[in-house]
Amino acid sequence: MIKAKDIYKNFGELEVLSGVSFEVQQGEAISIIGPSGSGKSTLLRSLIGLEEINSGELYIEGISVKESGKKAYEKMGMVFQGFNLFPHKTVLGNLMEAPVIVKGEKKAKAEAKSETLLKKVGLSDKKDSYPAQLSGGQKQRVAIARALAMEPDIMLFDEPTSSLDPELVGEVLTVIRDLAEENITMLIVTHEMGFARDVSDRVFFMDHGKIISDTVPEKIFVNPESERIQSFLTKILSQN
Amino acid sequence: MFDYIINVSGYILEGSIVTFQLYFVTAIFSVIVGIAGALGKISKIPLLESILSLYTWIFRGTPLLLQLFFAYYGLPVLGITLQPFPAAALTFIINYGAYFTEIFRGGIESIDEGQYEAAKVLGMNYRQTMSRIVIPQTVKRVLPATSNEAINLVKDSALVAVIGLGDLLRSAKVAVTRDFSIVPFIIAAVFYLIISSVIVTVFRKLEEKYSVYE
Repeated sequence: MIKAKDIYKNFGELEVLSGVSFEVQQGEAISIIGPSGSGKSTLLRSLIGLEEINSGELYIEGISVKESGKKAYEKMGMVFQGFNLFPHKTVLGNLMEAPVIVKGEKKAKAEAKSETLLKKVGLSDKKDSYPAQLSGGQKQRVAIARALAMEPDIMLFDEPTSSLDPELVGEVLTVIRDLAEENITMLIVTHEMGFARDVSDRVFFMDHGKIISDTVPEKIFVNPESERIQSFLTKILSQN
Repeated sequence: MFDYIINVSGYILEGSIVTFQLYFVTAIFSVIVGIAGALGKISKIPLLESILSLYTWIFRGTPLLLQLFFAYYGLPVLGITLQPFPAAALTFIINYGAYFTEIFRGGIESIDEGQYEAAKVLGMNYRQTMSRIVIPQTVKRVLPATSNEAINLVKDSALVAVIGLGDLLRSAKVAVTRDFSIVPFIIAAVFYLIISSVIVTVFRKLEEKYSVYE
Protein backbone atom coordinates (compact mmCIF):
# COMPACT_ATOMS: atom_id res chain seq x y z
CA MET A 1 0.00 0.00 0.00
CA ILE A 2 2.74 2.39 1.05
CA LYS A 3 6.40 1.78 0.53
CA ALA A 4 8.99 4.25 1.73
CA LYS A 5 12.68 3.72 1.13
CA ASP A 6 15.43 5.76 2.68
CA ILE A 7 13.54 9.03 2.95
CA TYR A 8 15.65 12.09 3.77
CA LYS A 9 14.27 15.52 4.45
CA ASN A 10 15.95 18.61 5.75
CA PHE A 11 14.83 22.12 6.48
CA GLY A 12 17.93 24.10 5.66
CA GLU A 13 20.69 22.81 7.94
CA LEU A 14 18.33 20.77 10.06
CA GLU A 15 17.87 17.16 9.05
CA VAL A 16 14.37 16.10 10.05
CA LEU A 17 14.12 12.73 8.38
CA SER A 18 17.31 10.72 8.28
CA GLY A 19 16.69 7.65 6.21
CA VAL A 20 13.18 6.45 6.95
CA SER A 21 12.05 3.18 5.42
CA PHE A 22 8.87 1.26 6.04
CA GLU A 23 6.01 -0.56 4.39
CA VAL A 24 2.34 -0.46 5.18
CA GLN A 25 -0.11 -3.12 4.04
CA GLN A 26 -3.71 -2.64 3.00
CA GLY A 27 -5.99 -2.26 6.02
CA GLU A 28 -3.26 -1.67 8.58
CA ALA A 29 -3.58 0.98 11.24
CA ILE A 30 -0.22 2.42 12.17
CA SER A 31 0.45 4.74 15.06
CA ILE A 32 3.50 6.93 14.90
CA ILE A 33 4.75 7.98 18.31
CA GLY A 34 7.87 9.62 19.60
CA PRO A 35 9.16 12.81 21.16
CA SER A 36 8.55 16.27 19.70
CA GLY A 37 10.83 17.11 16.83
CA SER A 38 11.46 13.48 16.00
CA GLY A 39 10.03 13.94 12.49
CA LYS A 40 6.62 12.29 12.93
CA SER A 41 4.58 15.07 11.38
CA THR A 42 7.15 15.72 8.68
CA LEU A 43 7.02 12.07 7.71
CA LEU A 44 3.24 12.17 7.41
CA ARG A 45 3.31 15.44 5.49
CA SER A 46 5.95 14.06 3.13
CA LEU A 47 3.71 11.13 2.26
CA ILE A 48 1.02 13.43 0.88
CA GLY A 49 3.29 16.00 -0.71
CA LEU A 50 2.97 18.83 1.79
CA GLU A 51 6.71 18.51 2.23
CA GLU A 52 9.03 17.66 -0.61
CA ILE A 53 11.50 14.97 0.31
CA ASN A 54 15.18 15.54 -0.48
CA SER A 55 15.90 11.97 -1.36
CA GLY A 56 14.49 8.51 -1.11
CA GLU A 57 11.72 6.64 -2.83
CA LEU A 58 8.06 6.69 -2.04
CA TYR A 59 5.38 4.51 -3.56
CA ILE A 60 1.67 4.83 -2.85
CA GLU A 61 -0.24 1.82 -4.14
CA GLY A 62 2.64 1.16 -6.47
CA ILE A 63 2.61 4.69 -7.88
CA SER A 64 5.93 6.48 -7.59
CA VAL A 65 5.52 9.89 -5.99
CA LYS A 66 8.52 11.11 -7.90
CA GLU A 67 6.96 10.23 -11.23
CA SER A 68 3.31 11.06 -10.69
CA GLY A 69 2.89 12.76 -7.36
CA LYS A 70 -0.60 14.11 -7.87
CA LYS A 71 -1.97 10.71 -8.79
CA ALA A 72 -0.33 9.15 -5.75
CA TYR A 73 -1.61 11.84 -3.39
CA GLU A 74 -5.17 11.35 -4.61
CA LYS A 75 -5.23 8.02 -2.85
CA MET A 76 -4.82 9.68 0.52
CA GLY A 77 -6.84 11.90 2.80
CA MET A 78 -5.42 13.91 5.65
CA VAL A 79 -6.69 15.26 8.96
CA PHE A 80 -4.77 18.08 10.61
CA GLN A 81 -4.16 19.03 14.20
CA GLY A 82 -5.69 22.46 13.54
CA PHE A 83 -8.74 21.10 11.61
CA ASN A 84 -8.30 23.55 8.70
CA LEU A 85 -11.97 23.54 7.88
CA PHE A 86 -13.12 26.13 5.36
CA PRO A 87 -14.67 28.79 7.60
CA HIS A 88 -16.75 30.40 4.85
CA LYS A 89 -18.56 27.19 4.03
CA THR A 90 -21.13 25.27 6.01
CA VAL A 91 -20.36 21.80 7.32
CA LEU A 92 -22.11 20.31 4.32
CA GLY A 93 -20.28 22.75 2.04
CA ASN A 94 -16.95 21.66 3.50
CA LEU A 95 -17.72 18.03 2.69
CA MET A 96 -19.11 18.64 -0.79
CA GLU A 97 -16.47 21.09 -1.98
CA ALA A 98 -13.76 18.71 -3.16
CA PRO A 99 -15.99 15.94 -4.56
CA VAL A 100 -17.85 18.51 -6.67
CA ILE A 101 -14.94 20.76 -7.64
CA VAL A 102 -12.11 18.25 -7.94
CA LYS A 103 -13.89 15.06 -8.92
CA GLY A 104 -16.74 16.73 -10.77
CA GLU A 105 -19.40 14.78 -8.91
CA LYS A 106 -23.02 15.81 -9.32
CA LYS A 107 -24.15 17.99 -6.43
CA ALA A 108 -27.03 15.70 -5.50
CA LYS A 109 -24.70 12.72 -5.31
CA ALA A 110 -22.09 14.59 -3.31
CA GLU A 111 -24.75 15.88 -0.94
CA ALA A 112 -26.20 12.42 -0.32
CA LYS A 113 -22.74 11.03 0.31
CA SER A 114 -21.86 13.92 2.60
CA GLU A 115 -24.99 13.41 4.64
CA THR A 116 -24.17 9.74 5.07
CA LEU A 117 -20.69 10.66 6.26
CA LEU A 118 -22.03 13.25 8.68
CA LYS A 119 -24.33 10.63 10.11
CA LYS A 120 -21.37 8.35 10.53
CA VAL A 121 -19.46 10.94 12.57
CA GLY A 122 -22.63 11.82 14.47
CA LEU A 123 -23.11 15.35 13.16
CA SER A 124 -26.17 15.17 10.93
CA ASP A 125 -27.81 17.99 12.85
CA LYS A 126 -24.86 20.31 12.19
CA LYS A 127 -24.85 20.16 8.40
CA ASP A 128 -25.95 23.78 7.99
CA SER A 129 -23.70 25.17 10.73
CA TYR A 130 -20.51 27.05 10.01
CA PRO A 131 -17.25 25.75 11.52
CA ALA A 132 -17.07 28.70 13.93
CA GLN A 133 -20.26 27.44 15.57
CA LEU A 134 -18.79 24.02 16.38
CA SER A 135 -16.72 22.72 19.27
CA GLY A 136 -13.19 21.49 18.59
CA GLY A 137 -14.26 17.87 18.72
CA GLN A 138 -17.07 18.53 16.28
CA LYS A 139 -14.72 20.41 13.96
CA GLN A 140 -12.32 17.50 13.90
CA ARG A 141 -15.12 15.04 13.17
CA VAL A 142 -16.21 17.24 10.27
CA ALA A 143 -12.60 17.33 9.06
CA ILE A 144 -12.49 13.53 9.14
CA ALA A 145 -15.77 13.32 7.21
CA ARG A 146 -14.47 15.88 4.71
CA ALA A 147 -11.38 13.77 4.05
CA LEU A 148 -13.52 10.64 3.70
CA ALA A 149 -15.77 12.37 1.17
CA MET A 150 -12.95 12.01 -1.35
CA GLU A 151 -13.03 8.25 -0.76
CA PRO A 152 -9.34 7.83 -0.01
CA ASP A 153 -7.72 4.43 0.38
CA ILE A 154 -5.37 5.75 3.04
CA MET A 155 -6.08 8.21 5.85
CA LEU A 156 -3.35 10.25 7.50
CA PHE A 157 -3.98 11.78 10.90
CA ASP A 158 -1.54 14.42 12.14
CA GLU A 159 -2.06 14.71 15.88
CA PRO A 160 -5.84 14.80 15.45
CA THR A 161 -6.58 15.36 19.12
CA SER A 162 -3.65 17.51 20.23
CA SER A 163 -5.48 20.82 20.06
CA LEU A 164 -8.64 19.56 21.73
CA ASP A 165 -9.82 20.04 25.28
CA PRO A 166 -9.40 16.76 27.15
CA GLU A 167 -13.12 16.10 27.38
CA LEU A 168 -13.46 16.33 23.59
CA VAL A 169 -10.68 13.89 22.74
CA GLY A 170 -12.85 10.81 23.21
CA GLU A 171 -15.45 11.63 20.57
CA VAL A 172 -12.76 12.07 17.91
CA LEU A 173 -10.89 8.92 18.89
CA THR A 174 -14.13 6.97 18.71
CA VAL A 175 -14.61 8.03 15.11
CA ILE A 176 -11.05 7.06 14.21
CA ARG A 177 -11.46 3.76 16.01
CA ASP A 178 -14.58 3.02 13.93
CA LEU A 179 -12.56 3.66 10.79
CA ALA A 180 -9.86 1.29 11.95
CA GLU A 181 -12.50 -1.38 12.33
CA GLU A 182 -13.60 -0.79 8.75
CA ASN A 183 -10.06 -1.65 7.73
CA ILE A 184 -9.21 1.66 6.16
CA THR A 185 -5.45 1.94 5.95
CA MET A 186 -4.32 4.64 8.31
CA LEU A 187 -1.29 6.33 9.76
CA ILE A 188 -1.84 8.28 12.93
CA VAL A 189 0.65 10.58 14.58
CA THR A 190 -0.53 10.71 18.15
CA HIS A 191 0.36 11.32 21.76
CA GLU A 192 -2.61 9.28 22.97
CA MET A 193 -0.74 6.17 24.06
CA GLY A 194 -3.77 4.22 25.23
CA PHE A 195 -5.43 4.83 21.90
CA ALA A 196 -2.31 3.89 19.95
CA ARG A 197 -2.10 0.69 21.89
CA ASP A 198 -5.76 -0.25 21.34
CA VAL A 199 -6.18 0.70 17.74
CA SER A 200 -2.93 0.07 15.93
CA ASP A 201 -1.72 -3.03 14.24
CA ARG A 202 1.79 -1.67 14.42
CA VAL A 203 3.49 1.23 16.15
CA PHE A 204 6.38 3.22 14.73
CA PHE A 205 8.54 4.84 17.36
CA MET A 206 10.47 7.74 15.88
CA ASP A 207 13.47 9.52 17.29
CA HIS A 208 15.87 11.95 15.62
CA GLY A 209 14.37 11.45 12.19
CA LYS A 210 14.46 7.68 12.21
CA ILE A 211 11.99 4.92 12.93
CA ILE A 212 13.86 3.17 15.72
CA SER A 213 11.14 0.67 16.43
CA ASP A 214 8.49 -0.81 14.14
CA THR A 215 6.56 -3.46 15.95
CA VAL A 216 3.23 -4.59 17.40
CA PRO A 217 1.84 -2.37 20.18
CA GLU A 218 2.24 -4.97 22.93
CA LYS A 219 5.93 -5.04 22.32
CA ILE A 220 6.35 -1.30 22.64
CA PHE A 221 3.97 -0.71 25.49
CA VAL A 222 4.44 -3.84 27.55
CA ASN A 223 8.04 -4.71 26.90
CA PRO A 224 9.84 -1.77 25.36
CA GLU A 225 13.13 -3.11 24.20
CA SER A 226 15.10 0.10 24.13
CA GLU A 227 15.80 2.43 26.99
CA ARG A 228 14.96 5.41 24.79
CA ILE A 229 11.38 4.17 24.29
CA GLN A 230 11.05 3.26 27.94
CA SER A 231 12.05 6.71 29.14
CA PHE A 232 9.75 8.36 26.58
CA LEU A 233 6.78 6.28 27.69
CA THR A 234 7.48 6.86 31.38
CA LYS A 235 7.61 10.58 30.74
CA ILE A 236 4.48 10.79 28.64
CA LEU A 237 2.43 8.45 30.82
CA SER A 238 3.30 10.41 33.94
CA GLN A 239 1.84 13.50 32.28
CA ASN A 240 -1.56 11.90 31.86
CA MET B 1 -34.95 80.74 -3.30
CA PHE B 2 -36.57 77.31 -3.56
CA ASP B 3 -36.70 77.58 -7.33
CA TYR B 4 -33.06 78.58 -7.36
CA ILE B 5 -32.08 75.54 -5.31
CA ILE B 6 -33.98 73.23 -7.67
CA ASN B 7 -32.41 74.91 -10.64
CA VAL B 8 -28.86 74.77 -9.38
CA SER B 9 -29.35 71.21 -8.12
CA GLY B 10 -30.37 70.20 -11.61
CA TYR B 11 -27.27 71.87 -13.00
CA ILE B 12 -24.98 70.24 -10.47
CA LEU B 13 -26.68 66.87 -11.01
CA GLU B 14 -25.74 67.11 -14.67
CA GLY B 15 -22.14 67.57 -13.63
CA SER B 16 -22.41 64.59 -11.31
CA ILE B 17 -22.90 62.32 -14.34
CA VAL B 18 -19.19 62.68 -15.05
CA THR B 19 -18.46 61.98 -11.38
CA PHE B 20 -20.52 58.79 -11.50
CA GLN B 21 -18.97 57.65 -14.77
CA LEU B 22 -15.51 58.18 -13.39
CA TYR B 23 -16.48 56.48 -10.14
CA PHE B 24 -17.77 53.29 -11.70
CA VAL B 25 -15.09 53.00 -14.35
CA THR B 26 -12.44 53.42 -11.66
CA ALA B 27 -14.14 51.13 -9.15
CA ILE B 28 -14.48 48.25 -11.61
CA PHE B 29 -11.10 48.43 -13.28
CA SER B 30 -9.02 49.32 -10.23
CA VAL B 31 -10.40 46.29 -8.38
CA ILE B 32 -9.42 44.11 -11.34
CA VAL B 33 -5.96 45.70 -11.37
CA GLY B 34 -5.79 45.17 -7.59
CA ILE B 35 -6.64 41.46 -7.78
CA ALA B 36 -4.17 40.88 -10.59
CA GLY B 37 -1.52 42.92 -8.77
CA ALA B 38 -2.07 41.08 -5.50
CA LEU B 39 -1.84 37.67 -7.19
CA GLY B 40 1.32 38.86 -8.91
CA LYS B 41 2.81 40.06 -5.66
CA ILE B 42 2.31 36.70 -3.94
CA SER B 43 3.39 34.77 -7.04
CA LYS B 44 6.99 34.38 -5.82
CA ILE B 45 8.22 35.42 -9.26
CA PRO B 46 10.96 37.86 -8.24
CA LEU B 47 10.86 40.09 -11.33
CA LEU B 48 7.08 40.42 -11.19
CA GLU B 49 7.20 41.17 -7.47
CA SER B 50 9.83 43.88 -8.01
CA ILE B 51 7.88 45.52 -10.80
CA LEU B 52 4.70 45.52 -8.73
CA SER B 53 6.50 46.85 -5.67
CA LEU B 54 7.88 49.69 -7.76
CA TYR B 55 4.38 50.33 -9.09
CA THR B 56 2.70 50.53 -5.68
CA TRP B 57 5.62 52.49 -4.26
CA ILE B 58 5.33 55.20 -6.90
CA PHE B 59 1.58 55.47 -7.06
CA ARG B 60 0.92 55.32 -3.35
CA GLY B 61 3.86 57.58 -2.58
CA THR B 62 3.07 60.53 -4.84
CA PRO B 63 0.02 62.82 -4.83
CA LEU B 64 -2.91 61.75 -6.95
CA LEU B 65 -3.12 65.34 -8.17
CA LEU B 66 0.45 65.15 -9.44
CA GLN B 67 -0.37 61.91 -11.25
CA LEU B 68 -3.41 63.56 -12.77
CA PHE B 69 -1.37 66.54 -13.96
CA PHE B 70 1.22 64.15 -15.33
CA ALA B 71 -1.37 62.25 -17.36
CA TYR B 72 -3.10 65.35 -18.68
CA TYR B 73 -0.38 67.99 -18.98
CA GLY B 74 2.76 65.85 -18.84
CA LEU B 75 2.08 63.09 -21.34
CA PRO B 76 1.41 65.52 -24.25
CA VAL B 77 5.03 66.64 -23.86
CA LEU B 78 5.97 63.05 -24.67
CA GLY B 79 3.61 63.11 -27.61
CA ILE B 80 0.70 61.32 -25.92
CA THR B 81 -2.37 63.51 -25.72
CA LEU B 82 -5.36 62.27 -23.79
CA GLN B 83 -8.81 63.81 -23.52
CA PRO B 84 -9.67 64.88 -19.96
CA PHE B 85 -11.93 61.94 -19.16
CA PRO B 86 -9.59 59.15 -20.36
CA ALA B 87 -6.69 60.91 -18.67
CA ALA B 88 -8.62 61.08 -15.40
CA ALA B 89 -9.97 57.52 -15.64
CA LEU B 90 -6.54 56.10 -16.45
CA THR B 91 -4.91 57.95 -13.57
CA PHE B 92 -7.55 56.91 -11.08
CA ILE B 93 -7.53 53.27 -12.16
CA ILE B 94 -3.75 53.06 -11.88
CA ASN B 95 -3.69 54.95 -8.57
CA TYR B 96 -6.50 53.01 -6.91
CA GLY B 97 -5.22 49.80 -8.45
CA ALA B 98 -2.01 50.36 -6.49
CA TYR B 99 -3.90 50.73 -3.22
CA PHE B 100 -6.08 47.69 -3.95
CA THR B 101 -2.99 45.66 -4.85
CA GLU B 102 -1.62 46.22 -1.35
CA ILE B 103 -4.99 45.78 0.39
CA PHE B 104 -5.75 42.53 -1.42
CA ARG B 105 -2.20 41.25 -1.00
CA GLY B 106 -2.45 41.81 2.74
CA GLY B 107 -5.84 40.11 2.76
CA ILE B 108 -4.63 37.07 0.85
CA GLU B 109 -1.53 36.76 3.02
CA SER B 110 -3.67 36.84 6.16
CA ILE B 111 -5.32 33.57 5.16
CA ASP B 112 -3.90 30.72 7.22
CA GLU B 113 -1.44 28.37 5.55
CA GLY B 114 -3.62 25.50 6.76
CA GLN B 115 -6.32 26.51 4.28
CA TYR B 116 -3.90 25.94 1.40
CA GLU B 117 -2.80 22.63 2.88
CA ALA B 118 -6.38 21.45 3.38
CA ALA B 119 -7.20 22.40 -0.21
CA LYS B 120 -4.07 20.65 -1.47
CA VAL B 121 -4.70 17.36 0.30
CA LEU B 122 -8.24 17.42 -1.08
CA GLY B 123 -6.72 17.55 -4.55
CA MET B 124 -7.48 21.17 -5.45
CA ASN B 125 -5.15 22.91 -7.86
CA TYR B 126 -3.90 26.50 -7.49
CA ARG B 127 -6.76 28.06 -9.40
CA GLN B 128 -9.42 26.14 -7.46
CA THR B 129 -7.72 26.89 -4.15
CA MET B 130 -7.57 30.61 -4.87
CA SER B 131 -11.01 31.02 -6.39
CA ARG B 132 -12.96 28.72 -4.06
CA ILE B 133 -11.09 28.92 -0.76
CA VAL B 134 -8.68 31.85 -0.45
CA ILE B 135 -10.30 34.72 -2.36
CA PRO B 136 -13.79 34.29 -0.84
CA GLN B 137 -12.28 34.51 2.63
CA THR B 138 -10.10 37.43 1.55
CA VAL B 139 -13.16 39.38 0.38
CA LYS B 140 -14.54 39.40 3.89
CA ARG B 141 -11.26 40.55 5.40
CA VAL B 142 -10.63 43.37 2.95
CA LEU B 143 -14.17 44.77 3.04
CA PRO B 144 -13.46 47.43 5.70
CA ALA B 145 -10.34 48.71 3.91
CA THR B 146 -12.11 48.56 0.55
CA SER B 147 -15.01 50.51 2.00
CA ASN B 148 -12.58 53.27 3.02
CA GLU B 149 -11.15 53.42 -0.47
CA ALA B 150 -14.63 53.50 -1.97
CA ILE B 151 -15.45 56.59 0.08
CA ASN B 152 -12.08 58.19 -0.67
CA LEU B 153 -12.75 57.71 -4.34
CA VAL B 154 -15.96 59.77 -4.14
CA LYS B 155 -14.00 62.67 -2.71
CA ASP B 156 -10.89 62.21 -4.84
CA SER B 157 -13.05 62.29 -7.96
CA ALA B 158 -13.46 66.02 -7.33
CA LEU B 159 -9.80 66.47 -8.29
CA VAL B 160 -10.69 66.10 -11.94
CA ALA B 161 -12.18 69.62 -11.82
CA VAL B 162 -8.62 70.91 -12.13
CA ILE B 163 -8.13 69.41 -15.58
CA GLY B 164 -11.35 70.95 -16.77
CA LEU B 165 -13.70 67.99 -16.46
CA GLY B 166 -17.23 69.17 -15.77
CA ASP B 167 -17.87 67.03 -12.74
CA LEU B 168 -20.05 67.61 -9.71
CA LEU B 169 -17.64 70.00 -8.01
CA ARG B 170 -16.83 71.96 -11.13
CA SER B 171 -20.52 72.49 -11.87
CA ALA B 172 -20.96 73.83 -8.36
CA LYS B 173 -17.97 76.14 -8.76
CA VAL B 174 -19.29 77.45 -12.07
CA ALA B 175 -22.66 78.15 -10.45
CA VAL B 176 -21.02 79.89 -7.50
CA THR B 177 -19.05 82.19 -9.79
CA ARG B 178 -21.99 82.80 -12.09
CA ASP B 179 -24.60 83.51 -9.41
CA PHE B 180 -22.34 84.90 -6.71
CA SER B 181 -24.02 82.57 -4.22
CA ILE B 182 -22.68 80.10 -1.71
CA VAL B 183 -25.68 77.79 -2.11
CA PRO B 184 -24.22 75.65 -4.94
CA PHE B 185 -21.30 74.65 -2.71
CA ILE B 186 -23.70 73.57 0.00
CA ILE B 187 -25.75 71.59 -2.50
CA ALA B 188 -22.57 69.96 -3.79
CA ALA B 189 -21.59 69.06 -0.23
CA VAL B 190 -25.02 67.49 0.31
CA PHE B 191 -24.63 65.48 -2.90
CA TYR B 192 -21.24 64.17 -1.80
CA LEU B 193 -22.65 63.25 1.60
CA ILE B 194 -25.55 61.38 0.02
CA ILE B 195 -23.24 59.43 -2.29
CA SER B 196 -20.84 58.57 0.57
CA SER B 197 -23.72 57.48 2.78
CA VAL B 198 -25.09 55.18 0.11
CA ILE B 199 -21.65 53.60 -0.27
CA VAL B 200 -21.25 53.19 3.49
CA THR B 201 -24.65 51.52 3.64
CA VAL B 202 -23.85 49.17 0.78
CA PHE B 203 -20.62 48.09 2.45
CA ARG B 204 -22.31 47.68 5.83
CA LYS B 205 -24.82 45.34 4.20
CA LEU B 206 -21.99 43.42 2.57
CA GLU B 207 -20.18 43.10 5.88
CA GLU B 208 -23.34 41.85 7.54
CA LYS B 209 -23.79 39.31 4.78
CA TYR B 210 -20.26 38.02 5.25
CA SER B 211 -20.44 38.03 9.03
CA VAL B 212 -22.65 34.92 9.03
CA TYR B 213 -19.68 32.62 9.24
CA GLU B 214 -17.80 34.12 12.14
